[in-house]
Amino acid sequence: MEAWLDMTLVLVVLLGLFMIGSNRLGAIIQIFGLQSVVLGTIPFLMYFSKIEIHIVIVSLVAMVLKGFLMPYFLFWAIRHVSIRREVSPLIGFGSTLFLSGFLIAGSFILSSRLIFPYPVMSDFIIPASFSTIMMGFLLLISRAKAITQVVGYLVMENGIFLFALLLLEKTPLLVEMGILLDVFVGALVMGIVVNHISDHFEHTDTSHLTVLRD
Amino acid sequence: MLFVLIVLPLMMAGLMFILPSKRARISLLVLTALFHLSCVVCFWKIAPQTQWHGFLSLDVLGLLILSIISVLFVVVSFYLIAYLKGEENRSTRFFIACLLVFLSAMTLVTVSRHLGLLWIAIEATTLFSAILINFHRTPRGIEATWKFLLICSVGIAMALLGTLFLAVAATNIKSLLLEDLLSNAPALIESWLKLSVIFLLIGYGTKMGLVPMHSWKPDTYGEAPGPVGALMSGALTSCAFLAILRVGQICHQADQMAFFQSITLLLGMLSLFVASVFILGQTDFKRMLGYSSIEHMGILVLGVGLGGAGFYGSLYHMLNNAFAKGLMFLVAGNLYRYYRNSKAHHIQGVLHSYPQTGILLLVGFLCVTGFPPFGTFFSELLILNAAVTGKHYIVAFLYVLFLGIIFIGMSKIVLKMAFGEPQDKPADDQYRESISMVVPLVILGLIGLLLGIFIPSYLSEVLQRASGFLGGQ
Repeated sequence: MEAWLDMTLVLVVLLGLFMIGSNRLGAIIQIFGLQSVVLGTIPFLMYFSKIEIHIVIVSLVAMVLKGFLMPYFLFWAIRHVSIRREVSPLIGFGSTLFLSGFLIAGSFILSSRLIFPYPVMSDFIIPASFSTIMMGFLLLISRAKAITQVVGYLVMENGIFLFALLLLEKTPLLVEMGILLDVFVGALVMGIVVNHISDHFEHTDTSHLTVLRD
Repeated sequence: MLFVLIVLPLMMAGLMFILPSKRARISLLVLTALFHLSCVVCFWKIAPQTQWHGFLSLDVLGLLILSIISVLFVVVSFYLIAYLKGEENRSTRFFIACLLVFLSAMTLVTVSRHLGLLWIAIEATTLFSAILINFHRTPRGIEATWKFLLICSVGIAMALLGTLFLAVAATNIKSLLLEDLLSNAPALIESWLKLSVIFLLIGYGTKMGLVPMHSWKPDTYGEAPGPVGALMSGALTSCAFLAILRVGQICHQADQMAFFQSITLLLGMLSLFVASVFILGQTDFKRMLGYSSIEHMGILVLGVGLGGAGFYGSLYHMLNNAFAKGLMFLVAGNLYRYYRNSKAHHIQGVLHSYPQTGILLLVGFLCVTGFPPFGTFFSELLILNAAVTGKHYIVAFLYVLFLGIIFIGMSKIVLKMAFGEPQDKPADDQYRESISMVVPLVILGLIGLLLGIFIPSYLSEVLQRASGFLGGQ
């Protein structure tokens, strides 16, 4: 099982890189959905021998919410947007890919320094989670389109979800569900605001949102 | 009882979509607010039972903040009766429903005893306040909402990571319930605890608007409708402060208070510095209030960072700040109604054109800047006292200096607004001062004044006990 688990974790990180490298909004949303579905399978691989009902519920709900409902909703938010490409990112595609290589290396170094108090299923989980969080943040700060920034935030949440899987047995189901629900409502509200932006400004470029400043 | 207090506003929010008339919706809002307040008043007499396997319970710290929320919400809902009358072209259905969900989420913040639940509640307040900010649907409002949502969501995500790190630190305790954490605090793993404290402070500090995570604050407060600004700067920031105090409580029990305090001291001084620099050149009244809020949040965490009498001062200041800021934002709401603008040079001679609002503007200004006999003066003095007795002389000097600069900066703007020559004839009869848009402000001003001249013994006892949570006397 461990080999499968490691492969899946590598896949999650690779999908993150794929999102950073692509410039079409539709593709980014779809890859995000795919990443979430892959993430949803990880609890089964991690807790293979001692699967419990509450683990099943969390992973299924996460898969449905993040893998299908959220992408669907994000597509709804940009349905009127004609320019579906990241035309002028604040940091170019090449440099962000290069940077994310460094971030992945950095998260390996960082997690080798952190001593986890009990043995974990795979040495790969913590670095994969940190690199997903950092890549999400990179996506958020380096892109100009509002929808890409939302996806960046959601990728960050995916990374945090991966870390939370380590603690899955100890977290009450209710708290876990509440967190997922909050993230979902967050995506919903952000989607609505993106929709407002595209209605009022006729674009979704946040680099033009610069009226408010000192 | 606690459960009812959380669920009832949610149910009422659902009802909003069924009720046919605007009048019915607003009266239901006011009734819910009054019910909430009466429950909270009862809690001062009889402590409510712990519910839900210890997930929900109310301690004195929570009670203090719940009372702030409840009083502010009642005042704001009375204010909204007149305010929403002037907003014919916007649908109130969604707005009032969001207000009620917002109330429910803030109540949950004060009563949750599980750190995960606390996070969920705070994230919910972010999402629903974002919808409230966007009430007028102007392009500027949308921009402000977007910045608020994105910055706060990322900040709150950091807090979630911090909560998870705390769960790792609590491996031997196997629970994130505050009671378990506090009673077994020495069993926390130190390195993970420190890491989690940093992340939690950054995360909840973003929500509070501490420098360097403050950049959303002037934008958001500048664009939010007055009553929403009042709730955000008074009640919501107190909720975020509560989360930080919970972290402090854990650190106190785990003997990591020095580490916690060194960070809050730094954040507090930075906030005061940035607020004093940016307040000087302000041209917009509401943005100025945003910077003033950054200042007061800085004072709050500074008090915690200094310790000793600072804890008491900080909690006391939290009460004062909530009502002072509430008053100022409602004044801003009135001014926006009369002038349709919040730029200071468009609003001149308020005392002449609208005498009641003008007087309240001056009262609010004195209250916010900490002028005696208002409560803010005494709480700021207490924190200064804590700095001097703790031998932090440089901090004390800078604190007084920054407060002085902020006072000058604000008085330059506010005095011109109040006493200047009115630019044109007072607006037509449509926007005369109505009594219902003045009385709620007077109440807040009176509370601010009362907190300065007379603190009832039960209040000071609660403040004492709450500051004891962090190691104050």
